[in-house]
Amino acid sequence: MGNCLKSPTNDDISLLRGNEGHSEPPDSSGLGPPPPYQETVPVYHPTPNVSRPANQLTEEEQIKIAQRLGLINHLPTGIFDGSKKVRECVICMGEFAIGDSVRFLPCMHTYHKDCIDDWLMRSFTCPSCLEPVDAALLTTYETNSSSN
Amino acid sequence: MATPVDQGALLLKRQLIDLQKKPVEGFSAGLIDDDDIYRWEVLIMGPQDTPYEDGFFKAHLTFPKEYPQKPPLLKFVSEIWHPNIDENGEVCISILHEPGEDKYGYERPEERWLPIHTQTLTSNLLLMWMLQKTLETTNLNSQKELPGV
Repeated sequence: MGNCLKSPTNDDISLLRGNEGHSEPPDSSGLGPPPPYQETVPVYHPTPNVSRPANQLTEEEQIKIAQRLGLINHLPTGIFDGSKKVRECVICMGEFAIGDSVRFLPCMHTYHKDCIDDWLMRSFTCPSCLEPVDAALLTTYETNSSSN
Repeated sequence: MATPVDQGALLLKRQLIDLQKKPVEGFSAGLIDDDDIYRWEVLIMGPQDTPYEDGFFKAHLTFPKEYPQKPPLLKFVSEIWHPNIDENGEVCISILHEPGEDKYGYERPEERWLPIHTQTLTSNLLLMWMLQKTLETTNLNSQKELPGV
């Protein structure tokens, strides 16, 4: 499947970036005003092919990202201690080392925390079984409440 | 802890070595520039019993710094006629589309890029996909040339 049709409204963030493209080159003589203070802001990916610093997100995107961050924080984490069968993080293809931070998805797939958290901000599905994580979270809650 | 940049380069190095150790039939890969792990040149042999049989097709894979979180860009250097490849050699295939929810609801997440598409898997998928005869949206001109479409 493929859909590469360009949409005129798609991902046009040039307006959000302001006049960055036309800005004057920095004054090398040192007489100009100092460059504005810039913090390093995290970059998010609200939709495919769009990556934007946190301070340039629309309100709707901010809400969506905040919700996603909240859900990710609900997923259990742990420290790899070598007791589990899984040996490798399939995202980075690196072996788990004792002491690595890992995250467990509701489908029981395990990844490095950094590897899967970055992925879940882009797509909320398990890369191994393609199970939507939000649906799986709900099922886990239901199973837990019915068994109690 | 490795930074994402290191991780991508490390993974690519590992995948290139894997591919050289366990070659995929009909597919070979190497670096365009020995100092740039992010740019690969791949050679695809046209699979048997397809219109591509006996053909050798050269393509370039450009990996983003965020690999494997983001997909590589695939561009054919050799001239090739395929409904999903435009006249510049650029390929439109959902498994190489960036992850996330398609706002048009056209592609399901599992049809798009996954960070566990290893190089071997990607090359297998590419070979399989060359066999498909489904017409898609990229090359509208090639669709027009077909009678009855």
